[in-house]
Amino acid sequence: MSAGIVIERLTKTFPPPRRVFGKRRPAPAPAVDGLSLTIPAGAVTGLLGLNGAGKTTTIKMLATLLRPTSGSATVDGLDVVRDAREVRRRINLIAGGERMVYARMTGRENLWYFGQLYDVPRATLHRRIGELLDLVGLTDAAGTLVERYSRGMRQRLSIARGLINSPAYLLLDEPTLGLDAPIARDLRAVVADLAAGGVGVLLTSHYLAEVEQLCRYVHVIDRGALVAEGSPAELTAGTRLPHTVELTLTDPAPDATKAVDALAARAGAEVWHDTDIDGRPRVTLRHPDDLAGELTTTVVRAGGAIARVEVSPPTLEDAILAMAAR
Amino acid sequence: MPTALPTMRRNWLVTIRAYPWTYFVGTVATGVLTVGLAYLAFHAIGGGQVSAVFLADGGTSDYLGYVTVGAAALMFATRMVLWVAKAQITEQREGTLESQLLAPARRLPYLVGVGLQAFTTTVAEVAVMLAFAVAIGVRLPAPDPLALLCAVAAAGVAVFGVSVPLSAIMISVGEAHITQNTLFVGMALLCGFTFPPASLPDPLRWLGEALPLTSGLRALRGATLHHETVGAILPDLLLCAGLGVAYLAAGLRLLGPAERTAVRRGGAA
Repeated sequence: MSAGIVIERLTKTFPPPRRVFGKRRPAPAPAVDGLSLTIPAGAVTGLLGLNGAGKTTTIKMLATLLRPTSGSATVDGLDVVRDAREVRRRINLIAGGERMVYARMTGRENLWYFGQLYDVPRATLHRRIGELLDLVGLTDAAGTLVERYSRGMRQRLSIARGLINSPAYLLLDEPTLGLDAPIARDLRAVVADLAAGGVGVLLTSHYLAEVEQLCRYVHVIDRGALVAEGSPAELTAGTRLPHTVELTLTDPAPDATKAVDALAARAGAEVWHDTDIDGRPRVTLRHPDDLAGELTTTVVRAGGAIARVEVSPPTLEDAILAMAAR
Repeated sequence: MPTALPTMRRNWLVTIRAYPWTYFVGTVATGVLTVGLAYLAFHAIGGGQVSAVFLADGGTSDYLGYVTVGAAALMFATRMVLWVAKAQITEQREGTLESQLLAPARRLPYLVGVGLQAFTTTVAEVAVMLAFAVAIGVRLPAPDPLALLCAVAAAGVAVFGVSVPLSAIMISVGEAHITQNTLFVGMALLCGFTFPPASLPDPLRWLGEALPLTSGLRALRGATLHHETVGAILPDLLLCAGLGVAYLAAGLRLLGPAERTAVRRGGAA
């Protein structure tokens, strides 16, 4: 039995919309197109792509909510179609937005009911509800009807619902959507802890800093197909996007300026000179490699006095946008 | 029943907190009006007598009793359908359908839980309507208790069975009103709630027999108006329950694809 979530040549094509009159429309392009990837236990794996890339469709197939058109997906060797019920015991899904919980029940009642649906033993459930309410900061609001909750509180309850069955694999589809920054930060800490405790997490998020912070490995999909994969650092490096080095001098230094221009010409870097808000000379260098070391050495050797150096490496967001632009 | 009883409790909690008074008033008013108008027509137009045709087709001269049992059964059927068939589309509208479908719980016990809660609520509502009928002078003969119990149980199975494929249609097309009202009109016309189905043209009469409520209603009237025993109404009980189970089986087969269609469409119904 292969551990983890294993997806092989997974494809999902939705039928064309029905028309009452006229010809049936041609079948649209696959929402997921031959996707193969692995989500291991005990790590957070990212699934990135622009809107319409097929992330949510993939997650819904893994959650057994949709059936693949072809290909396969297994959870610890269990097929998501054939063994759907057993797969559901091992996974859970938390989607962004405040829905997925009952408005006319209290937070505690919601968790009790979902615990029953997952057949969590009574003694365990009582303890687990308390732990989860504490985890998402809703202990004081446990007896309040959800319809009186704020959007963030509902989303937090939805997160608790997603953990009620202690899933071995957690599918997170934009989990921090609409959450206040402190709550989102707490959720990231929870996700990191879950992964450290052995839970396999698949995360999609538009907040790429979140993905960069949490994910050991990231898959990038476009129009349903895998276009890149690797660690966030590998993906960023693979796009050869420029590092930006911004160096501010204490005083004008013509020799240093000439030396920097020579360095830029030699390395093939973009360079421009201006002044900062205090009127001090500033040089900016952009190159796929980090030239901060060479730049500072060059300036010092040419007699320049450095006030400040700032290096901005390319981010995962830059990398994803670059891939999308191709 | 690991899912049925919690679902029943959940629905009780929600119903107590937000009882749908408009549904209650609408349904009870329909039953009350049906019995009230029948009372007026029977005394003001019929002069307290039924025609020979009604006597032959309906098998009774107790027109008010006939209509009262029919109106109570119609009310029972519509209320049960409204609860059970609309359970999943209500989940879809409130955004909880996917969290339901994610869980390993089976759909049948979930719907049974909804049905159990609906049954208790509906029985109380039907009692209100029957109290009105008694208040205006309708006198129902004492039924055979066991036969009545069996008839109510068979009618419950029938209504539950019909509700499940209806639920699948509702979540599949994302619409409830046209679907439910089509069934209600069909039931009211074909099943013999207020007039004997024998008065209908043959094709419609046979169409009515395909709905389990027609035989269920015959069993209910046999138990209440004619004081028949279980043995006497057994063929209708079996037909009613059998058809109900057949509708249920068909509905459960349809539910899976319908749920996936609902998930694919996403959003509110």
